[in-house]
Amino acid sequence: MKFIPIFLIVSIILNFNLLKADEIKTENKIAKNLRCLICQGQSVYDSDSEFAISLKLVIKNKIQQGLSEEQIYSFLKMKYGEWILYDPVFNRNTYFLWLLPILIFLAGGAIIIKRFYNKK
Amino acid sequence: MASLIGSYSLSFGLLFSILIIFFSVKNLKDAEILDKKIITFTFIQFFFVVISFFGLIISFINSDFSNETVFNHSHTTKPLFYKISGTWGNHEGSLLLWLLVLTLFISIFLIKSNQQPKKYRIFTLLFQQIIIVGFFIFLIKTSSPFNYIFPKPNEGLGLNPILQDPALAIHPPILYLGYVGSSIIFSSALAAMVTSYVSKEWAKHIKKWVLASWVFLTLGILLGSIWAYYELGWGGFWFWDPVENVSLMPWFALTTLLHCILVLEKKKILTSWAMILSIATFALSMSGTFLVRSGILNSVHTFANDPERGLFILIFLFTLIFLSIFIFIFFHSEKEKLENNFFWLSKETSILVNNWFMMYFLSVVLIGTIYPIFLEVITANKISVGPPFYNKLILPFLIPFLIAMAIGPNLNWVKSDFKDKFYMTIFLIISFLLSAVIIKQFDINFLINTILVSSAFFLFFSTSREFFVKRFRNLSQNIAHFGFSLLILSILFNNIFSNEVITNLKIGETLETEKFTINFENIEQEDEKNFKAIIGKFSVQNLDGSSDILNPELRIYNQPNIITSEADIKTNLLTDKFMTMNYVQNQEYFNIRYQVKPFMIWIWVSVILISLGGFLSFFKKRYEV
Repeated sequence: MKFIPIFLIVSIILNFNLLKADEIKTENKIAKNLRCLICQGQSVYDSDSEFAISLKLVIKNKIQQGLSEEQIYSFLKMKYGEWILYDPVFNRNTYFLWLLPILIFLAGGAIIIKRFYNKK
Repeated sequence: MASLIGSYSLSFGLLFSILIIFFSVKNLKDAEILDKKIITFTFIQFFFVVISFFGLIISFINSDFSNETVFNHSHTTKPLFYKISGTWGNHEGSLLLWLLVLTLFISIFLIKSNQQPKKYRIFTLLFQQIIIVGFFIFLIKTSSPFNYIFPKPNEGLGLNPILQDPALAIHPPILYLGYVGSSIIFSSALAAMVTSYVSKEWAKHIKKWVLASWVFLTLGILLGSIWAYYELGWGGFWFWDPVENVSLMPWFALTTLLHCILVLEKKKILTSWAMILSIATFALSMSGTFLVRSGILNSVHTFANDPERGLFILIFLFTLIFLSIFIFIFFHSEKEKLENNFFWLSKETSILVNNWFMMYFLSVVLIGTIYPIFLEVITANKISVGPPFYNKLILPFLIPFLIAMAIGPNLNWVKSDFKDKFYMTIFLIISFLLSAVIIKQFDINFLINTILVSSAFFLFFSTSREFFVKRFRNLSQNIAHFGFSLLILSILFNNIFSNEVITNLKIGETLETEKFTINFENIEQEDEKNFKAIIGKFSVQNLDGSSDILNPELRIYNQPNIITSEADIKTNLLTDKFMTMNYVQNQEYFNIRYQVKPFMIWIWVSVILISLGGFLSFFKKRYEV
């Protein structure tokens, strides 16, 4: 029965590694979606500036505190404003941003269909 | 001295515009044939701009710091190559380059269009002269490259080191050939409307210009992208940065126009649409120049934040757009023959579908780029629109686009039965299975990735097959479409399979991960003419036993005093290994970023293939069925 504790330890270590790997993945994903505020058009992930480095640490801490991705985004949004998020939130300010392209697409389709029926 | 000559030739060039306009208007009324004088004057004007441009280059080569532009952007220790490329690496010089290409193109246009009606040629020249005069005045009034400084400084301020790069030295000229080529399309479309010459003949004639601009624009964007990849040090090649977007928008418009012209060349339909696109392409190129130069967009391309310049371009742009709308409304009449043979499954429809999606992509990029600017002006809210936005709005639409692109070219012009159904179905199934197997191993967003990759594979297979079925018929189109499928596949695989690690290492330390081991061996110092280099030596052991030596570099430039990080990239057919190193403040550690990026080289190759398609088409007599 010796192998049970060993098995447990191994599985915990393995799981721990997996958790850790997941953490790094989310960390990178979040950093990629944030603007480095002091750089010229770079994400926090891509930048090596002090701001970016410290922000990466903040993200790491927040993940370890158990905050979800969404919670981290909203925390950073509170602190630095919407400017930091590369993925604009869907709200009153951005209805047009998100919907206008789709509307243009639908209008384009309508024009083509109309053209076809007119010709016929 | 060279500056002085340059400055005077600029004024003489402007004087010739007056002569050209005067004689063109006169010629319009009386003679039957085009007055030779006009062509001579156009050449002389071009000649003066060339002299002016060389005046600036010579001032740069001689490091003549009594010239303000040279003083601001050059330095005696800079290598000769970058002294020369510094000529257009700044606001004033790059505008002079615009003007040079403008006058060059109109000269070429006059030579090449001798088969075209006289009135059409003169009107094109006139519209082009409006643009040329605008740029002359802009240069002389607000951004003269030949301002004089007294007393003469001993040393210049130097060129931003990240612009001291071979790819970036030729990126602006190539890109400008594309941008400015669209000015000819614009002028000629306006002229064709005024003289009621919008026809198959016009389409055939302007197609060459569309193709040429398109090829240059594609290559220009490619060069910028390659530069960003190895110089900016984060291993990406496209970031949906506003400045990148600004070059992509005219590209979308031009690609749409290219396909639309193919229809127009065959049948006289879609004329209004072609006119709108011709105007839009140039308007987008101009507003790109405006957005980049005015300082509204913050980036390495923003050379000067002078509101007067932005205002001038804005007024100029609005004048041109207003003029073209006026001409479109009052001169253009859609006299299309209402042919009854317009069917769902025809090449025309598939080209319309292409136009439809292209316009959608264009609108996504356009709205994503300018919306934040407007929002900030109106509500003072600052938002960022970055890669996630574009991915969400573009990727799902790419799927039907790729499939339509695979099917479209197999359709006939008027009506076609869907031939080759068998092969197409087989390809679809193979593509799907293949993608599912590949993506399954990396279980990330399985569904969307599989569908995306399958549609790209589908296009890949069907275009590959066409090489065998059609042989040399339509080779150019097939190469371009094949290149596009390769591009999408490479980008997708590059995104899905790339592997990266960022860490801090001391000399002698080793980092082990599941896939590789990085060993920081030592650093060396080297002194170059205008910078000091700190070169790191790293050995990377891969899982399969192979190893690489990578030597990323830190460069400390003397003038301006800037530290840049030079990536070391080991490229082979399958993957790129990319490493950069950076200082960590006040510590003995270096920040190391190591990335394994698959299929990187295929991204470049496929864009070159796409341009090659356009290039071949340039030499082809006419579009084949």
